Amino acid sequence: MEGKVIVVTSGKGGVGKTTATASLGSALALEGKKVVVVDMDIGLRNLDVVMGLENRIVFNLIDAVTGKCKLQQAAIKDRKIDNLFLIPASQSDNKSIINASAMERFCKKLRNEFDFVLLDCPAGIEQGFENAIAGAEEAIVICTPEVSSVRDADRVIGILLSRSIVPRLMVNRIVPQLVERGDMLSHEDVVDVLSVDLLGLVPMDELVVISTNMGNHIVMQKDSMAGQAFRRIAMRLNGQADLPIEVPRTQKSFWKKLGIFGKKK
Amino acid sequence: MGVNKITSESRPAARLSRPAARLKGVGDSLWVVIDPQLPLDTLKDELTQMFSRLNYLTISMPVVLDTGKNGEHESLIKNLGEFLKEKFNVGEVSSSPNNRSDTEKRVRTRDMERSWKNYRSDVLMMAGRVRSGQMITAKKHLILLGDVNPGGQVSAGGDILIMGSLAGTASAGQEGNESAIILALDFKPTQVQIAGIVAAGASAVSTKFPEYAYVENGQIVVENYLSANPFARMPWPKIR
Repeated sequence: MEGKVIVVTSGKGGVGKTTATASLGSALALEGKKVVVVDMDIGLRNLDVVMGLENRIVFNLIDAVTGKCKLQQAAIKDRKIDNLFLIPASQSDNKSIINASAMERFCKKLRNEFDFVLLDCPAGIEQGFENAIAGAEEAIVICTPEVSSVRDADRVIGILLSRSIVPRLMVNRIVPQLVERGDMLSHEDVVDVLSVDLLGLVPMDELVVISTNMGNHIVMQKDSMAGQAFRRIAMRLNGQADLPIEVPRTQKSFWKKLGIFGKKK
Repeated sequence: MGVNKITSESRPAARLSRPAARLKGVGDSLWVVIDPQLPLDTLKDELTQMFSRLNYLTISMPVVLDTGKNGEHESLIKNLGEFLKEKFNVGEVSSSPNNRSDTEKRVRTRDMERSWKNYRSDVLMMAGRVRSGQMITAKKHLILLGDVNPGGQVSAGGDILIMGSLAGTASAGQEGNESAIILALDFKPTQVQIAGIVAAGASAVSTKFPEYAYVENGQIVVENYLSANPFARMPWPKIR
């Protein structure tokens, strides 16, 4: 099996890397692929919490990379989705304990076992970031429509391109109302500055907060706008590159239509 | 520069010999060639004849008095200038600014003959996008076909031309070249520096016109490049 190693990164913290990694991982697994999500944020792990697998951790990434355990032992199977696995970060170790070349070897090993390897990159562009991108061949850059986030994403894209990793952009937390009022950068503005391929647009959705706190999969909720956006991004990653990108809009017109419909009755 | 003669001979009697004053239109000003050897009154008569024939055309029009020699006959030019201003309401009166010397003549002939092939200019020409955290440094001039993102930096010893949008930081004329300019098709920089003089970018709103920054009286000035057209008045193409 020759899988794809994709790093999910952003530069800036708190833009939704971990949530996106978990959601894309579960969405790809629901597409029938064998997926592993790897938490690269050593010392500050939280992908396991978001996925609700915290209490099942026995071994972690450091153990697997340094050979203290087998790959199969470190990969935790998800509670709900069969072919989704998590390799958690170590909470106690220092991130300098693994280096880029060790990570590169480990990614090769993972690629042989899984269809998709998603690496949840830590914020910043230091050693942890270097480790995360060492073994990756593709990157998803997450960016929110904020000036500071765009700036950091731009820096990260520059670094990724300098390592010949092809970055693709996902704009997260779009609030259509604010964009329409002109109070938020539109995704066109963001793409204009960053000028890389757009992978998808994810609207702001409070259901994300609820489900991450509960450790549930947002993509399994049919009524979640963000969850459905993640599903479509996963489909694009899984070969359906032509799937049109849906721009999040306010639901005003939808309700208006319903209103007219009601009157007719 | 187009030079078209309005009138040539001024006095029928002097047709065979050299006329005391000749007139031609140069750009938006009048170019008057006078013979400084002649007495002042003769010249005044001559100019009166010439200018009264032009009627109101001469009002507030700049006049260049060409005596044939640079830097000489300054008092004569001043005298005649005051006379013309008083009588015909002409604009600025000056002596000929680029009275070509022989060396200049030779240079220009050579330029024409060789199509300026004997010159070389040090330019770093790049294409692409300068992202946040990236920096391009040119020894002399820098041309970028592309954009500079916020957080990106371009720096040059001479001019910087951005054929795209400049949203990052640009520093031209490093090491004190105040004549350097920074030009961008879409000019919305975070900051510009010319010869160590710093100016912060104002707003991110672009004017949709190419603009350029230059130094004037120790301050950075930004202007619409097409309407200012700073190099249009140069008499001869020069190396930069």
